[in-house]
Amino acid sequence: MRTISVLYTGQLAALAGCSEEDVAVDEGAALGRVVEELSGRHGDGFRDLICDGEGKLLGTVLVAFDGRQMQGERDGLSLDGVKEVMLMTPIAGG
Amino acid sequence: MLSDEDKAIYEWQLDVAGLGEAGQEKLRGTTALVSRIGGLGGPVCFALAAAGIGKLVIAHAGNLTPADLNRQILMRYEDLDASRVESAKKTLAAFNPGIEVEAVPENIGEENVADLVGRADIVFGCAPMFEERLLIDRECMRQGKPLIDSAMYHLEGRVLPIVPGKTACLACLYPEVPSHWKRRFPVIGAVSAMVGNIGALEGIKLITGVGEVNLGKMIYVDAATMTMRKISVERREGCEVCEGDDF
Repeated sequence: MRTISVLYTGQLAALAGCSEEDVAVDEGAALGRVVEELSGRHGDGFRDLICDGEGKLLGTVLVAFDGRQMQGERDGLSLDGVKEVMLMTPIAGG
Repeated sequence: MLSDEDKAIYEWQLDVAGLGEAGQEKLRGTTALVSRIGGLGGPVCFALAAAGIGKLVIAHAGNLTPADLNRQILMRYEDLDASRVESAKKTLAAFNPGIEVEAVPENIGEENVADLVGRADIVFGCAPMFEERLLIDRECMRQGKPLIDSAMYHLEGRVLPIVPGKTACLACLYPEVPSHWKRRFPVIGAVSAMVGNIGALEGIKLITGVGEVNLGKMIYVDAATMTMRKISVERREGCEVCEGDDF
């Protein structure tokens, strides 16, 4: 088991009560598993903001691994070798 | 060719390495469309006007309200209940009479997007709703116009420089209108101004060639901690807006 940093932006940071936290992950852990754990930790509002009714990441939530945006089906992406995960909810304030 | 007055006004800017008279001429020869001139778009206009952009087309419907005044720095208290774009035009004219300002008292929608984008060389997206932003994105991709999309929320913001055919477009990142985004958002004027100025500078760099435009990057800034990050973003395969278009 090792620790990764998870960064939150926008409304997500408000719901998590922080903009960054450390999360312990097992070898071979997938992003979806971590999102599930974080949703359990931070509550339904957090889950509703980033997941659909089946618990999968919404397409409008940007995910970056170590500063690089991840595309396509993100839930199954392995976190092996990843140090930092950024979860960005969409913002459009003008 | 720059006039003596131009040289006097932009003297300190002309000293910026890589800009010079050639860059100043490029700015003067550029028309920029700014969609909404509120907390973000106002500072964008101010920065472009200060830099000597040739023409600003500013699009924003409605009249000035008290709740606009904490961030909409082109507006004036004396113009409460009057047209936002007319108030902004007066401010810009007083600040730099050497630039042309066209005030459009409309928000961008299906009915005017092609015409307004068609009048500009570069577009700055600063609208408060994704519907408008994505519409502008679609039209900029269709017409091959660069778009600087800036957005903020609370104490943070992001800027995405978009060049058709070269970078991800806004629809690559947001394939649909995000359902959770609401019209009202928490904002301190200094934060929206900071984000707007980053967006304006990316546009100025794109126009003049000075510095390095962050193509393929989303610039993210957290004013709570004053942290800036850059996230690499790529075109989305199958994007219905930019994928497969002949740019």
